[in-house]
Amino acid sequence: MQKRLLPFLAAVLVLLLIGGGLAAQDEKVLVIGHAEQTDSYDPAHGYTPTTGMVHRATYDTLVTFPDGDASEILPSLATDWTVSEDGTVYTFTLGDEAVFTNGDPVTAEDVVFSVNRLQNVQSNPGFLAGEDRIVSVEAIDEKTVAFTLPDVRPSFLTELTNTAFSITNADVVQANGGTDADDAASTDTARDYLDQTSEGTGPYILESWAPQDETVLVRNQDYWGEAPYFDRVIIVNIPEAATQKAALESGQIDIALDLTPDQIAEMEGNADLGIFSGPGQWTHFLLMNADPEIGGPVSDPTVQLAIRYALDYEGYRELWAGSVTPGTNMAYILAGAFQQDQAFTRDLDMARQLLADAGYPDGFDITLEYPDYTAFGVNMNTNAQKIQADLAEAGINVTLSPGELQVALEAYRTGQEGFGYWFWGPDILDPVDVLSFVPGGKVAAERANWTAEMVDPAVIELIEQAKVATDAEERLDLFNQVQEFLQQNGAFAPFNVPATQRAYRADIEGYVWHPSWELDVALLSRAE
Amino acid sequence: MSLQIYIIRRFLFVIPLLLGITVVSFLIANAVPADPINANLPQNALNDENLVRAFREKWGLDKPLIEQYFTYLGNLLRGDLGVSIKTRQPIVEDIQQFLPATIELATVSIVLGLAMGIGVGVISAVWKNSIADYVARIFVVIGVSFPVFVLALIGLTVLHVQLGLVAGPGRLDFIVRDPPHVTGLFTVDSALAGQWDKFGNAVSHLVLPSLILGSYVAGIIARITRSSLLEVLGMDYIRTARSKGVRERWVIVRHALSNAMIPVVTVIGISYGNLLVGSVLIESIFAWPGIGRYAFRASTSQDFPAIMGVSFLIAFIYVVVNFIVDILYYFLDPRIRVA
Repeated sequence: MQKRLLPFLAAVLVLLLIGGGLAAQDEKVLVIGHAEQTDSYDPAHGYTPTTGMVHRATYDTLVTFPDGDASEILPSLATDWTVSEDGTVYTFTLGDEAVFTNGDPVTAEDVVFSVNRLQNVQSNPGFLAGEDRIVSVEAIDEKTVAFTLPDVRPSFLTELTNTAFSITNADVVQANGGTDADDAASTDTARDYLDQTSEGTGPYILESWAPQDETVLVRNQDYWGEAPYFDRVIIVNIPEAATQKAALESGQIDIALDLTPDQIAEMEGNADLGIFSGPGQWTHFLLMNADPEIGGPVSDPTVQLAIRYALDYEGYRELWAGSVTPGTNMAYILAGAFQQDQAFTRDLDMARQLLADAGYPDGFDITLEYPDYTAFGVNMNTNAQKIQADLAEAGINVTLSPGELQVALEAYRTGQEGFGYWFWGPDILDPVDVLSFVPGGKVAAERANWTAEMVDPAVIELIEQAKVATDAEERLDLFNQVQEFLQQNGAFAPFNVPATQRAYRADIEGYVWHPSWELDVALLSRAE
Repeated sequence: MSLQIYIIRRFLFVIPLLLGITVVSFLIANAVPADPINANLPQNALNDENLVRAFREKWGLDKPLIEQYFTYLGNLLRGDLGVSIKTRQPIVEDIQQFLPATIELATVSIVLGLAMGIGVGVISAVWKNSIADYVARIFVVIGVSFPVFVLALIGLTVLHVQLGLVAGPGRLDFIVRDPPHVTGLFTVDSALAGQWDKFGNAVSHLVLPSLILGSYVAGIIARITRSSLLEVLGMDYIRTARSKGVRERWVIVRHALSNAMIPVVTVIGISYGNLLVGSVLIESIFAWPGIGRYAFRASTSQDFPAIMGVSFLIAFIYVVVNFIVDILYYFLDPRIRVA
């Protein structure tokens, strides 16, 4: 018995050693560790940071941003464009170089199909192409396409950079059940197909997706732009930040996208690793429902202002390394957003005085609802405890009520939450994004019941002007006025923007974070 | 009682049990205080009454609860667990995708746990109150009382990152492609395909998670083995065997251990069931795409057909494992055969 056991054990040992050395392959492979969050890779359905990264690699849009920021609009599939005198019709000319993965050239019909399908499938990103935003999209000739908007909207080109506007091969998608008809929400069946492959013009092709396990991209051999360095990109689902860290440190993955600020701090000084750090896009804020029956004391504008004065902004910055205090709910990274030096600072005496003015000299009791969730490395429970402590100093007695994310979202989205803590990232990388938070705006009206009728008509007039201003300087001035109004008034108290921090192996070159699509894998290479 | 009658009797118990499980899993999935419509429809679709109605009709939410239950039960009898809202695949297919990873890990873990647990238990019973016993008991306390996720994180940091002794997260190195699918068990599939490098890789990835899961099981089994064996070793028939001059090793293995195994087998049954369904944390930490992680995602996204499917599967596994344990009793405990 023992004689037979020994050779067996030896064989197992040899196999283990061979197994350990498997990584040596000729292919250039990039492995990304990421907490996957999507239920589709169909551009008309998926709308998360995960899909942004994959769509950026596999599709192109008509226009795009520079590699690392949202400072200007650059040509992509469209080589140039014109805007009609009245500012409502945008006409794009398509370039001749781009071809789909099967060799078909990109035509105006593909653009029409992709945009109409996005609109009519009515899934997560559908609102970007909703009828209130795009009246029609028409092919003028094979290489010319015109969009008609309901009214002047200077942010339109910025919206088109979103990967939801990825241009797909109309013929192939239709052959696989796709439709852009009005009833596409119930008749389109191309989602399963586009979950497993991509029909775009990007530097990579989606090879396979095992949901909650891994996504594999392979290089598009016929890509019309500069060929990317890596032959294959594997995005592995690693939900635990601690596991991502271990896998990165041991070299099993090249990039970790979901590390916490604490973990990043521990990695500083490690010569094997590189760190990307920059201002983030997620604003953490308090919601104070303007409906007195739902919000109770926090529906009072004076109390709302008192709460903005009571928060210890500096404390949150110390809590989360690299974070900043936002000026308003306008995302920190957007042109024209109030920066930290223009942000609110704490004034407890003022907070107490305002509470007394509002009829609460002894404060009041209130429940803070929020999801029991870690948002991109920031544990919301930690912040909630600090909010509780901050407000206690002003005399407000807060009871914390964390809820499971889906359960909490329901109360938030239906406007039933009185006093809540949430976070927000811009859908459109343009100052118009803040209009969700002005009286009557999407978040303000639907979730905080703060409607246009509740404020001075002059404010609504100001907001309307800001929406349509095309002159850059005038636009900036108007948005500044909107932000000044939001600091003094309203249902929201933005208090912290955590930093964006990513870690990668030191031999990875060209790492750039992008606020819209997270990471462009085609820009990366490995030092040799 | 003959074996056939015993099996039939046990089997008759299983049917009402499974039926009860369907009721409970159905009620649990429906009792969660969140509306699946809010969790699964995009926000702009929520404002469209037609889309909301279509969703309700599609998933049967417009029907009374009792009718929903009987539809579910009818489908279940045909082996149809329904379709997941999130993955939009038949749940049976989802289970086929995620369960093998869990079975592979749980099976290796229970084997390691048994080997360690029985070994340690026997040593500490036979050499009671010796140094070996004390060392063994410390091992048991650590195995049982240390939270598995702490062991997992320490193991990953020290054994994988710092010392490089074991492979890290995942079922294979992330860069390695899966072996051709036959059973879904990577060790088996790679061996069948003759891909021995992948076999070695799969085994090396099993080492750390299965040692950790196995050490918890080993702790429990060692404790039960020790106390059960001590009890048996004090019995008259053992003294008789010894006084007849039977060799000590034979006394322990044949006379004592086989009788001491009855409570141990019970624990093995429960532990294996626990490993199959309760390794969510380990699966999460080791990026192991198993059924625990699938269940967690189903429950946090209000995917009620998937929640029901997984709950039923879990309960079914418990029932089957306990059924097997009952049959093992028949062989281990002569009293059942005589009764």
